[in-house]
Amino acid sequence: MVKEISDKIKEAVASVEPVETPYEQRGYHLAIEATRTNIVDIVNFFDKSGFYLADMCCVDYIDYLEVVYLFNNHNQVCRVKVTLKVDPDKPSAPTISHIYKIARWYEREIHEFFGVLFDGHPFMTYLFLHDQIDFYPLRKKQVPVPEEDKKLLNSFNPGEQEDGFFLNLGPQHPSTHGVLRVVVKMNGEYMLSAEPVLGYLHRMHEKMAENRTYQQFYPNAARMDYLGALNFNLGYVTTVEKLCGIEVPERAQYIRTITAELNRISSHLLWLGAFVADLGGLTPFLYTFDDRENILDILEAVAGSRLTYSYLRFGGLFNDVDDDFVANVRKFIDRLRSRFSMYERLITGNVIFINRVKNIGVMDETYPLKYGCSGPVIRSIGIPFDIRKHEPYAVYDRINFNVATGTNGDNMDRYLVRIKEMEISLDIIEKALKDLPTGPVKAEKIPKKLKPPKGDIYHTVESPRGELGIYIVSDESDVPYRMRWRVPSYSNLMTFPQLAEGSLIADAIATLGSYDLVIPEIDR
Amino acid sequence: MCGLDNIIAIVGKEIVRLILGLIGVLIVVVVNALILTWVERKVSGHMQKRIGPKEVGPYGLIQPIADGLKLLGKELLTPANVDKPLYYLAPVIVFIPVLVSFIVIPFDGFLQVKDINVGILVILAFSSLSVLSILIAGWGSNNKYSLIGATRSVAQNIAYEIPLLLSLLPVVFMANSLSLKDIVEAQRDGWFVWRWQFFAFLIYFIAATAETNRTPFDLPEAESELVAGFHTEYSGMRFALFFLAEYTNIFIASAIATTFFLGGYLGPVLPGIVWFFIKTYFLVFVIMWFRWTFPRVRFDQLLNFSWKILIPVAFANLIVTGGILKL
Amino acid sequence: MGKGGFHLETKEPIIKLAIAEKFINLARANSIWPMTFGLACCAIEMMAAAMARFDIARFGAEVFRPSPRQADLMIVNGTVTKKMAPTVVTLYEQMPSPKWVIVMGNCAISGGPFAFEGQYNIIEGIDKLIPVDVYVPGCPPRPEGLLEGLMKLEEKITGTRRFPVPEQKW
Ligand code: SF4
Repeated sequence: MVKEISDKIKEAVASVEPVETPYEQRGYHLAIEATRTNIVDIVNFFDKSGFYLADMCCVDYIDYLEVVYLFNNHNQVCRVKVTLKVDPDKPSAPTISHIYKIARWYEREIHEFFGVLFDGHPFMTYLFLHDQIDFYPLRKKQVPVPEEDKKLLNSFNPGEQEDGFFLNLGPQHPSTHGVLRVVVKMNGEYMLSAEPVLGYLHRMHEKMAENRTYQQFYPNAARMDYLGALNFNLGYVTTVEKLCGIEVPERAQYIRTITAELNRISSHLLWLGAFVADLGGLTPFLYTFDDRENILDILEAVAGSRLTYSYLRFGGLFNDVDDDFVANVRKFIDRLRSRFSMYERLITGNVIFINRVKNIGVMDETYPLKYGCSGPVIRSIGIPFDIRKHEPYAVYDRINFNVATGTNGDNMDRYLVRIKEMEISLDIIEKALKDLPTGPVKAEKIPKKLKPPKGDIYHTVESPRGELGIYIVSDESDVPYRMRWRVPSYSNLMTFPQLAEGSLIADAIATLGSYDLVIPEIDR
Repeated sequence: MCGLDNIIAIVGKEIVRLILGLIGVLIVVVVNALILTWVERKVSGHMQKRIGPKEVGPYGLIQPIADGLKLLGKELLTPANVDKPLYYLAPVIVFIPVLVSFIVIPFDGFLQVKDINVGILVILAFSSLSVLSILIAGWGSNNKYSLIGATRSVAQNIAYEIPLLLSLLPVVFMANSLSLKDIVEAQRDGWFVWRWQFFAFLIYFIAATAETNRTPFDLPEAESELVAGFHTEYSGMRFALFFLAEYTNIFIASAIATTFFLGGYLGPVLPGIVWFFIKTYFLVFVIMWFRWTFPRVRFDQLLNFSWKILIPVAFANLIVTGGILKL
Repeated sequence: MGKGGFHLETKEPIIKLAIAEKFINLARANSIWPMTFGLACCAIEMMAAAMARFDIARFGAEVFRPSPRQADLMIVNGTVTKKMAPTVVTLYEQMPSPKWVIVMGNCAISGGPFAFEGQYNIIEGIDKLIPVDVYVPGCPPRPEGLLEGLMKLEEKITGTRRFPVPEQKW
C-alpha cells in the first residue's frame, strides 16, 4: 500500500519526493515536503485516492513555520505526513478548505494561533479565541496581531448582516453539554443554518505543553477528556514511550487495556443517559449513572480518583491491581450484562424513542472523508474503522474482538453502535482478565527527566469518541517543543452544520446529543 | 352564628355558599399544589432509585412549604425590554380558569360549589383561556425561547382541544346532561369507562396530558430545547403561579376523567369524597409516571398524532355512540 | 433627610420581623435550587451529586432550573475562560436575589492547574468577578464535597448547622 501510494503520487504530481519513514518510530509511513505551488495538487491527489485529513497543524521553528497535514486511509492504514514551509514574517498558504471541509476549521485555528493566512478561505474569523488576545499565542516569539488581521478575525456578527430569527444555543444551554455555542438561524421550528462557535473552554493545553516537562504535563491529558480520561492518559503515555523507546512490562499492558475499556464503558454510559435526557426522558440518566458509579468505585480503588485519573506512568502503572480488583470487575461484568435487557426495554423498545431517532441526522459515506470524523460516528455508517484493530496498542492485538458497525449512519445507529461497543468492551475485559499475566508493572530505570531524541511522532489511540492523535515534536530537551492534540469530537462536531441544515430544532438537538461531545476536548 | 344568619338573610344563601366555596377552592388549590409537588418529587425519586426529599421535615413533607416560602421571599425581577402589561398579566390570567373550573367539580354528592347545568362547557371554555396566558407570557417576555415555547403551546392546545371535546361528548350523550353531577349519577350502574367508552377514556387521557403540557407532550417548556420555555423569564412568585397552575391543571384534568369515566365520587364503603380523591390522585400518579418514563415527542409528530389519529378515532367513537343510542 | 441631599440613616425597622425573617431563612436554606450550568470536568461531579447515590434531593436541592431567573444558587464548576466570563457574570446578574454562589473546583477558585506563567485565556478565580459564598476545593471535588459545601451554605444562611461536624480522624 505504502509503495503503491508513493509511486502513484510521483506520477500524479510533478516534483514530489515522498520519503518512506519507519512507521514504528514515527507513526507515519510517508513524509512529503510540499511547496506552495503543488500543495493543492497533492491534497487533491489524496482526496481522489480515498484518504481523509486526519489532522492539520502548524509548528513554529522560528526560522520558518511549518504547516503539517496528516492523511490516513480508512481501509488500510497508510499515514502520510505532508509538510509545507511558510515564511514567518508574512505567513500565508493556499487553502484546501474547498477540498476537505474539515480544513475550514483547522485553517481558522492555525490562523488565530499562528497568524498563517490561508488564501481563498471564505471565513477566516475567530474560532477559539477572542479579541482581547492581541498576539498569536502559539508562536515561539511574541508576535502582535496586525490590525487588518484583527478586523478579519472579528468579522463574525450573526444577526447584523441580514434579517432572520437568530437563536443562540449556548454557551449556557441545557443540551449543549458544557459550553458550546451554536448560532442558528431559524425559520419557525426549522433550522436554516447552524454555526458552532468554540473556545468557551479553551484552556491552553497546547501552550502549557511547551512550558511543562513530559511528566508535568501528564495530568492535563485527563482534564482534556474527563469522561475518557484513561484513554487519553493511555494515548499520551504510549506516544511518549514510543518516542523515547521505553518498553512496558506485559502485566502493565494488560491492566492498561482493562482500565481503559472500563473507562470507555463509563463514558458510553454517561453518554447514553445524556442522550436520552436530550430527548426528554430523564430517568435513564439516573440508571446509567448508577451503573457508572460501580465502575468509578473499581477504578477509584486502584487509581485514587473518581474522574480525572492519572493512573498510568511512563513505562508502567502507578501501582498494581489486587485480587479484589479482579473480583470486582468480574462482578461488574455480570451486573452490566444483566442490565442491558432493562435498557433494551426502557429505551430501545420505546416507540417514542424510535420515532425520534430513526432516520434523523443521516450521514453517508462521504462524511468521514470530507470531515475526518471517527469513532462510533463513522462506524455507524458501516465503516469498520477502529484504531484498536487497525493500529493496535497496549494488548489489543492479542485479544480477539469484533468491531460494532451500523448501516444507516443515523442517530439510531449511533446509539446502537455504542450499546454494542459496551458489550464488546465487556468481552475484551473478560478475555484480558483471563490471561492477565503476573510480573512487574513498572519498567526499570525510567529517568526522572525524560529527554526524547530529536524528531517528531504521530500516534493515535481509540478514545470513546474516536481517533485521538498526538503529534509531538521533540528538540531533545525535557520539554516538548510542540505538542498537538488531534481530538475526535472536533471533527465529529464539524459535521453538525450540514446535518442540522433544514432540520427541526428538536432533531438537531438529538443529533448534537448523538455525537457524544466533550467540549473541553474540542476547545483544548 | 347569628352573624352568618344575618349575612345569609341579607345577601341570600346562594352567594354565601359561593363565597365560602371560593375560599375553599383557593385552599384546595394551594394545598393540592403543595401536595403534588411533594408527590412528584418523591415519585420521581423512587422511580430513579433515589429517595427524594427527606431531610426537610419527616419524609421531606415540609419541603413544599419551604419552597413556597422561599419563592415568596424572592426578588420579583422584571427584565428590561419586556412588554410590561402583558408580562404582569400572564401569571394572573393563568390562574383564573383554574379557579373557575374548580367551582363545578363535584367532590361528593353534596360537595360542589355550584352545579351548573352546562358544567362541562364552563370547564372547557375556561381551560382554553390558559393557552392565552401562555401566549401572553411568551410574547411579553421578549425572549426567543419563550416565544417559540408559546407558539408551540398554541398549536398544541388547539390540536388537542378537539379530541378532548370529542371524547367527552359520547359520555354527555349517554348521561343526557352537561351537568357534572348528573353525569356522575348516571354511572350508578357502571362506570362509563367499562360501558363502551374505553377508547374515549384513552383519547381523553392522552389529550389531557397534552393539554397540561406534561411529558411526553411537554414541548412548550422542553428543557433540553427551549431552556424553560414560556416561563424562562419569570422569577419568584410569578413563576410559582405558573407552577401552581400547572399542578392544578393536572388535578383538574384527572378530576374530569374521574367524573366522566370513573364514576366520580361513587364507590362502596368509603365516603364519596375519599373515593373521588383516590381515583383522581391515581390518575395524577399515572401522568407523573409518564413523565418519568417517556422521552418527548417531536413537534410534527405531536400534531400529526392529534390530527391524523386521535381526532378521527374520537369522531368515529362519537358517531358510533350516537348511532347506538338513537337505535 | 438632611439639607442639601440625601444621607442614609440607620433606623430600627418599624416592624420587627426577626421571627419571620428566621422562618424565611430556614425556608431558603432548605430549598436551594441550583442552576443547570456546567463548565468543565467538575460539572460531571455536580451531576453525580444529583444522581442516585448522592441524591442532593434529600436536602431539597435537586430542582435544577435551566433558567437563571428561577435559580437561587449558581455552582461555578469548572474553568472560567475569558471568553466565557462575560456570560457567567450575566447569568449571575440574571438571578433574582437572594442568590448564592458555590465555587466548585480549583479552576474556578484560583485557576487551578491552568494558572501558569504566560497563560492568556483563563480567569484566575471567579471571585474576581462575582461574590462567592462557599469554596469547594478539589480537582474535581468529590460529590460529598459539594454536599458539604451545600451544608456550609445552609449554615451561612440560617446560622445553624444541619448535621454535626464529623470528628476529625487525623
Ligand atoms: S478543577 Fe480540575 S476537575 Fe475541576 S474543572 Fe478544573 S481541571 Fe477540571
